[in-house]
Amino acid sequence: MIKLKQLLTSAVIATTTLLSVNSAMAADYPPHTINMVAPSGAGGGWDLTIRTVGKVLKDTGLVDANMPVVNRPGGGGAVNLAYMQTQKGKGDLISVYSPPILLTNLTGLTQYSYKDTTPIARLITDYAAFVVPENSKYKTIKEVMDALKKDPKSVKIGGTSAAGSMDHIQFLLVAKAAGVENLRNIDYISFQNGSLIAQALGGHVDLISTGLGDVAGLVESGKLHALAQTADKRIGSGLIAEIPTVKEEGINVTFENWRGLFGPKDMPEEAVAYWRDALQKMVETTEWKEALKRNGWDNAYQNDQDFTTFLGKTNEQYKGLIKEVFGR
Amino acid sequence: MDILTNLMNGFSVALQPYYLFLILVGGILGTVIGMLPGLGPATGVAILLPMTFSMGPTASLITMMGVYIGAMFGGSRSSILINTPGDGAALAATFDGYPMAMKGKAESALAISAIASLIGGTIAAVLMTLMAEPVAGLAVKFGPAEYFLLMVAALSMTVSMSKGNMLKGFLSMCIGLAISTVGIDGQSGLQRFTFGVLELQTGIDFLVVIIGIYALGEVFKSFRTLSEGGKKAQTKFKRIWISKEEWKRSKWPILRSAPVGFIIGALPGAGGTMASLMCYNNEKQLSKNKEEFGHGAIEGLAAPESANNAASIGAMIPMLSLGVPGSGTTAVMMGALLMLGIQPGPLLFAQHPDTAWGLIASMFVANVILAIVNIPLAGVLVRLLAIPPKVLYPIVLSLAFVGCYAISASVVDFYILIILGVAGVIMGRLDIPTSPMILAAIVGGQMEQSFRQGYRISNQDLSVFMNSGIAKGLLVVILLSILLPIISAIRAKAAKRKVAA
Repeated sequence: MIKLKQLLTSAVIATTTLLSVNSAMAADYPPHTINMVAPSGAGGGWDLTIRTVGKVLKDTGLVDANMPVVNRPGGGGAVNLAYMQTQKGKGDLISVYSPPILLTNLTGLTQYSYKDTTPIARLITDYAAFVVPENSKYKTIKEVMDALKKDPKSVKIGGTSAAGSMDHIQFLLVAKAAGVENLRNIDYISFQNGSLIAQALGGHVDLISTGLGDVAGLVESGKLHALAQTADKRIGSGLIAEIPTVKEEGINVTFENWRGLFGPKDMPEEAVAYWRDALQKMVETTEWKEALKRNGWDNAYQNDQDFTTFLGKTNEQYKGLIKEVFGR
Repeated sequence: MDILTNLMNGFSVALQPYYLFLILVGGILGTVIGMLPGLGPATGVAILLPMTFSMGPTASLITMMGVYIGAMFGGSRSSILINTPGDGAALAATFDGYPMAMKGKAESALAISAIASLIGGTIAAVLMTLMAEPVAGLAVKFGPAEYFLLMVAALSMTVSMSKGNMLKGFLSMCIGLAISTVGIDGQSGLQRFTFGVLELQTGIDFLVVIIGIYALGEVFKSFRTLSEGGKKAQTKFKRIWISKEEWKRSKWPILRSAPVGFIIGALPGAGGTMASLMCYNNEKQLSKNKEEFGHGAIEGLAAPESANNAASIGAMIPMLSLGVPGSGTTAVMMGALLMLGIQPGPLLFAQHPDTAWGLIASMFVANVILAIVNIPLAGVLVRLLAIPPKVLYPIVLSLAFVGCYAISASVVDFYILIILGVAGVIMGRLDIPTSPMILAAIVGGQMEQSFRQGYRISNQDLSVFMNSGIAKGLLVVILLSILLPIISAIRAKAAKRKVAA
């Protein structure tokens, strides 16, 4: 019923849009071509997500427009975000983003935030994993936090992203919830050349803060030991399912590395409704569910309204933390 | 014995006609992509990504291997013929490859580059089969301190090598280091020298520096002489092969460079560019004909060509045995594997032996096929030199811009490209060597980050840079690379005095 109501509402709004704004475009939605943008180079998480979405939508026939994938890398997604400002009001561009869309804005790397886009849907999520070499002296995340409380310099945290971006923030969120003070003094070391996991295997850093999906294979092979992950429940199967959540360890916090779709700001309501409908159907298909399983992703579907609320809430949470750590 | 059986099984996969066909097609595609400046193996493999959806994992991996190795073969073609490296790993091929072509020895240059690539690649594939595990073990021993020293070693070798004027080499290096600091600093998360330009946040790609200095610089330099018709186009061409004498000179450099390239390639983040430059410098140091280096010494082309192919195979080690991408290309390949439902890493050989060993066997096969394809192909390509500069240079210019755009899809890079092209001309006029600058632009970023990583991990204790055995070894290399040229210069001076007296 609700679906029908939403559909009707959007149909009414669409009709109004059709009459008032751009009749040619509205009548034709979806257009012949919809650009699916990965704001990064080929091969990363954003790229994989948008390609998978495009493929599933095409294979299931849910969207019959052409959906070429465009890579627009630069500035950790900020270049594409700036480009999207030139496409305001258009409906033929869908871009994928994740927590960095909030973080790059909060740390001042770009003036644009999620508010300068039209959130369309949250689709999937990965979680943070805190991983140590197999012979590490730390057996639980609690021990790491206790060590940090005594001496913030005693545990060296490695991550892939730059300081102040995701790998750093996800660890600090947990540390804060665990009651570690002086978050500023914790040494975070960024390895952007792709050597992070090798650094952990070699024992050059004490703990790496990364994505659960990025280390699943190594955890399964026993070369790395995952102390905790940040979902609100156990994830996956086998050895992965044996990784405790930080909540179980008595630290009351979760962190989601969600990925969602965004359109340009002021996207026509009709286009938003079209995508709401198509994506709602997509997440129910077996093709999508298989893709989730294959990539180790967790379903985290939220429609545009819920997603927007979620973004607002998360943004405030990060804002407080970044202010505390960086004073900006 | 186990290894041999496994490898034979791998060959029985890779030698199936279907896979041979895929290697051939992938290899030719890769060669073409590799030749275009800015488009390297990573782009080539990424272009293939959508196609891999429909192929099985083995087929898609083997095709990607073909493209990867093809791009390594192709990269140096444009270095030799138009002084524009296809990608970073082919940079060292410009040092002596282009002078060879200018001296009318393009045929030998193209032939030796294919032969060196074949031998380097094959040696590396053998090493890969036998020693993947220990090399992976060595690779993880490289912490930030060791990375830092490795980068310093590479830089000091190049700078001390710049003939005649060490000060100018040093100046050139400083410019390169300055370029490498642009962008968001990983350790602090702050922007440096970005002037509010979003595109600069990710830094200046060293390929833009290479294309700017070499391709644009070359074209700009020729503007003065173009209407006078300075350089004559070559019209007669010999067979693509090398003489016995040339083989004798290149034999040892090729054999020596392959294992070095292989090991450096296996270090995540170091890669073919570093490997080929270090091997070039090694050979220059060891050679009896030092004077000839930079003016068309065949061993100066053979060594880096062998090294970069070996490195490209070494780069597969972190992916296959650790599940860690060691380079941009292997990162894309890993993405493809994940999409196909295969988890790369230590379990790959146990869970998907056909795929893993088929891939290793295809390294051997791809090297052979590409060498066979490349020699006749070179016969066609060499005719590029028959194109008069008035026609060729506009083509080079457009290729440079297209390649630059392909790297980062950013128009800002065009301005940087032009500035660097002009800088290339000015540096040429003032006799400032460009290779220290380019190497500094390549390794500078990582050198600085590694230093700060190591310094932070050790709680600001500098001794971390000399504690491990690897660190000590690298320190010795650095000292030698600085002292040897000084000693040989002093001895040369003394000898001269003797003659004069």
